[in-house]
Amino acid sequence: MSGLASSSHPVVGMSGSSGLSHVYIQQPPLRCSIPGSRGLFYDDGNKIILSPANDQVYSWKVVPFDPVVAPISDSISDGPILAIRFSLDGKLIAIQRSNHEIQFQHRETGETFSQTCKPESEIILGFFWTDCPLCDIIFVKTSGLDLFAYNSESKTLHLVETRKLNVSWYVYTHESRLVLLASGMQCKAFTGLQLSSVGIIKLPKFEMAMAKTEANNKPVLAAEDVYIVTIYGRIYCLQVDRVAMLLHSYRFYRDAVVQQGSLPIYSSKVAISVVDNVLLVHQVDAKVVILYDIFLDSRAPISAPLPLLLRGFPRSSSLGARSSFKDVESSEAASYPSDHEATMYGDDWTFLVPDLICDVSSKLLWKIHLDLEAIAASSSEVSSVLDFLQRRKLEAYKAKHLCLAMARTAILERRPVTMVAKAIDVLVTSFSNSFKTGYFKGTKAEKAQASDAAYATGVNASRSDTTGKSVEREYVAGLDRESFERSTFIETDSDEDGNTGHVKPNTNGSSSKLLLGAETRRTGGQTLHSDNVGASNNILRSTLQPEAQVTSPAISPDEMYTFVFAPVEEEMAGDPSYLVAVIVEFLRSCNLERIKVRPNIYALTAQLLARNERYAELGLFIINKILEPSKEVALQLLESGRHNRQTRKLGLDMLRQLSLHNEYVVFLVQDGYYLEALRYMKKHKVTTVRPSMFLEAAFASSDSQQLAAVLRFFSDNNPGFRSSPDHNTYYHLLNEMNMAAA
Amino acid sequence: MGLSSVASNSEGMQLCIFDLRRGQNEGQELDKILFFHPADLPFSTQLSVIGLSEGLITFTRIFSPDAACEVIEAERHSHVFFEAEPDIWMVVIVEKNKEAEAIWRVDALRKVLKEVHSLFLMFHGSIRSLLEKEPAAGSVRSQLYIFIMDYLSDFHSSKKLQLPSFRDSLKERGTVQMLTVGREAAIEVQSLVRVVESCTGSPSCHSLLLFQDLLVSTTLSPDDTINLFTYTVLRLTPHALSTGLSSWSYLRKGSTASAAVTGPPVGSGTSLSEPFHGSHGTSAGDDHSHAMRPLQHNRWSKGKDGFLITDIWQAEPGSLVSVTPSIWLQQTEEKMYLCAYQHKSLTLIFLIPVSSIINGEQGILAVKQLVLENASLKILKVEEKLSKGWGGENAYHVSGYRYLLVDGDRNLSRASPPGKVTTLTKDSLLALSKLREEVDIEKSRTRWDNGGHEKDLEICTRARNNAWVISQVTRGKELYMVLENANETLLYASDAVQKFSNRYCNGAFSLD
Repeated sequence: MSGLASSSHPVVGMSGSSGLSHVYIQQPPLRCSIPGSRGLFYDDGNKIILSPANDQVYSWKVVPFDPVVAPISDSISDGPILAIRFSLDGKLIAIQRSNHEIQFQHRETGETFSQTCKPESEIILGFFWTDCPLCDIIFVKTSGLDLFAYNSESKTLHLVETRKLNVSWYVYTHESRLVLLASGMQCKAFTGLQLSSVGIIKLPKFEMAMAKTEANNKPVLAAEDVYIVTIYGRIYCLQVDRVAMLLHSYRFYRDAVVQQGSLPIYSSKVAISVVDNVLLVHQVDAKVVILYDIFLDSRAPISAPLPLLLRGFPRSSSLGARSSFKDVESSEAASYPSDHEATMYGDDWTFLVPDLICDVSSKLLWKIHLDLEAIAASSSEVSSVLDFLQRRKLEAYKAKHLCLAMARTAILERRPVTMVAKAIDVLVTSFSNSFKTGYFKGTKAEKAQASDAAYATGVNASRSDTTGKSVEREYVAGLDRESFERSTFIETDSDEDGNTGHVKPNTNGSSSKLLLGAETRRTGGQTLHSDNVGASNNILRSTLQPEAQVTSPAISPDEMYTFVFAPVEEEMAGDPSYLVAVIVEFLRSCNLERIKVRPNIYALTAQLLARNERYAELGLFIINKILEPSKEVALQLLESGRHNRQTRKLGLDMLRQLSLHNEYVVFLVQDGYYLEALRYMKKHKVTTVRPSMFLEAAFASSDSQQLAAVLRFFSDNNPGFRSSPDHNTYYHLLNEMNMAAA
Repeated sequence: MGLSSVASNSEGMQLCIFDLRRGQNEGQELDKILFFHPADLPFSTQLSVIGLSEGLITFTRIFSPDAACEVIEAERHSHVFFEAEPDIWMVVIVEKNKEAEAIWRVDALRKVLKEVHSLFLMFHGSIRSLLEKEPAAGSVRSQLYIFIMDYLSDFHSSKKLQLPSFRDSLKERGTVQMLTVGREAAIEVQSLVRVVESCTGSPSCHSLLLFQDLLVSTTLSPDDTINLFTYTVLRLTPHALSTGLSSWSYLRKGSTASAAVTGPPVGSGTSLSEPFHGSHGTSAGDDHSHAMRPLQHNRWSKGKDGFLITDIWQAEPGSLVSVTPSIWLQQTEEKMYLCAYQHKSLTLIFLIPVSSIINGEQGILAVKQLVLENASLKILKVEEKLSKGWGGENAYHVSGYRYLLVDGDRNLSRASPPGKVTTLTKDSLLALSKLREEVDIEKSRTRWDNGGHEKDLEICTRARNNAWVISQVTRGKELYMVLENANETLLYASDAVQKFSNRYCNGAFSLD
């Protein structure tokens, strides 16, 4: 590590193993070496790596990333190759042969045709395929853009539109569907176009900021210094200002480009990656990477600059084995044959959008991963770490586990209630948001909704079906990185939600600021009202889902109980009032977010209060319905009330109010109120309680009047009781009692 | 006979406290007397009153050792007994006089005795322990005298002591009135309570939260809650602090009159001793001048930081340095510092064990600071929430009904607002008072006969003015009701009760 980390960021979160790194690449890489290869090309539209060799082109799929994926080969005609991209439907291969010619080839038939431009006046800078309805492929030339549509009948391209302007160079990512065209002396004047599936949106022209050198030399902006990144569904442009050593960021709206502030850089060469919506600024010279979570306005890095780590082969256990992997790493380094593979930030490294590193010389492809455990361990600000983890989607399972563990630890360490409350707020809010957007539980939502809708959010459950479907669609769209959803500009200015697919009801109203978002929503028919969408989804599970099914780190109230409160309660010795305080905060958060809590948390709270003999408070909790009435709570009150009559009565009252007649009667009898129980039975027509229970109890009281009253009651009200053995037995017993009394 | 001279007393009321363990030898009988009101009665009269009481107690103990005499009903007087502590008795003697509206309910009078004693315990500790510390009893007497006279000052109306009479039948002393809050507000309140608790840093600290004169939350035991609630409503709530404002309260109708404390004794500390202890030989005069008077009016005010301040508690007897008030908890017998914070209508009281604060006033200041830092936002929020949901002083009025609802298990009561009760005719109130007397007797009979088993009871009577006067007791809950306009049938009346029960009592009175 260079002096950078120690000088500018003195030891932030350098404790323990977290000091190692927050970002890593994992052995083995994807090897793209083919004998006779003529270089590697990245087709971000199809997410494939292409390597032409001789008369073949080999392609490796990189999403999902699988290091042992076999390449697919297509034969192509010989000739120079400046660029190569497959059409989005995979039927055509486009190869830029020269500055003036692009050749197209049918993958199936091998037929070819070419498109050229006027060699004297213009140069083809590049091209890309698009899913814009107007056209299929776009040529970027020094004189402007040519938009072509492909006619599959005639197998030719025809020009749809030409946009004239001077272009020095351009940047495009398929992820954003955005092309930025640089022009002017310094190449800092930009025209932007988004070629989305609903049409072409032209951005207002804008200029990027460039600091002047001392000599008043005007620096020229290069294409390598401009990056388009997509974070949380918003599109930014990052621009390296080498003179000022700053990374300027611009955010694109429908009708404006707004500069968003600048990040410092510590290296003349930087590279940008985005992993799971976290911005990685690689300080290539310093061989460290700085992480930013550009979600809120904060421009503070997540933690200190740390090197990128090369990890050995995947560890078997996914969690909690951090200590072991230092060893793995060193042994790997020794045993692994090719040393050069470990050349971090070598000159041959190319950073591909969004999260790949390509080592051009050794033909290796690495995928960048975040080390969530290390990041989580690097800060003591529990709530901000939880906030960060809750926004992670790629390793949702791991993030979820980390969150649960952190919540448990914070409570066990008896951190101040206000601090724990903040952390709980983060978790509950995040759950509420993912619940509203349907991320939670994902596609499984509908199956369980019928049975569990009653538990959802206290919302009208009957309207679940229609909304449920649209939510699901959005969920699917949200996860699929290729989908259109991702590529649109989403208005999240006032939106505190991190989910890409999340729509607030007010977005439709403020659509003028959206570049595309509003239209998409309308075509999708999704006018979601956060409150009633939730009803369609099921929030209940007793156990954590298997890893593969976890699509969001959001933690349901039930999981909070099962994985936080219940274990903590077992482990925590002594005064339970601290835990009660934490649960109260949890209930407060849930109530604010209108999330329904299952009775087991209430029962636990009642139990804790009773254990501490805080019966007066328990009474308040019940009367004010902080602990909502349920059978579980009622039974807990009856249990805890064995040493406190008032509490027991609260339990009985609750049973009565819940119309649990049978239980109510049984407990009345247990407490010796036979006649009251009988009257109640008569009034509410309870027939499930056996007469013998009353008779036994009345006989045990050795009060002949009571027994006679009970006998009389059943004789009068139960047809057939007179001939039952119970009647005879107790009639005799009653006579004996009377005889003895006489 | 001694009693006749009692009757001639101007105020028609006598109140005494005596200790059966003292003054057993002839010639030392005066030692028994710990308190006597009016203090200017000759000792011979005082002794004859106490002698009669003592005789009756001794006599009735032969038959009922655990519960001796409760009341003597004479032709023109009622003697109400209360054994405040073992062998320490309080007796109040009231004159019966129909014209002067002097119609009493025994239990209501006994509750007055119980209340003043409980409050005394809270501030001074038990009388017995004070007597053990000071066998001569000089300062105990002066403390009792000042305390009870300050207490009675609340009962003065138009220069006359007015004890609770039949007109107060829709009130229940010794209970707490609660604010009904929604779930959301209740959670916010609990969140505030927990934060305050965590600030004090001691597991045995407690808090009490009031909105206006109504309890919102407590972490104290039921008995301590009643005491502290009573005191807070008497002296600490915003309404108690600003005695000039128009007032309402379930507890006291006469709080406004409190500013006009008259009567001879309460003026200054030293003058108190004159009539009382002159012949006892204990010169207690010095003690009086700085005896603590927590019930004295206008001694509390709101400080700049929102905490209530008072000069009642002093570091040294006679010193001018006032310290943080402290009180005794009945349940744990622990001494607690009392800190009261007020924001608008919200009064937050928290109690910190004296033993947990090492460096005295500085330590308390630190805790207060911590509470302000951590809880003031929550206090604002809770006050706002409660104010929004607050229905005003007639919030719990149910039109057509005049009612009193008592939850004996939780020591709660709720009643028609005093302003509405005054619309009842005298006949209705008299009938109600009589009915309550009957229920009181029935209740105490069940208590002795039946152990823990609670009996249900339902009485509907028709008063002279055709009003229905109804009482229903079910499993520890009591409902008293006057229906002046429901003059049709008994069915109509009982229907009205069912409706009320279902609507306002979760159906507690409609079990069968």
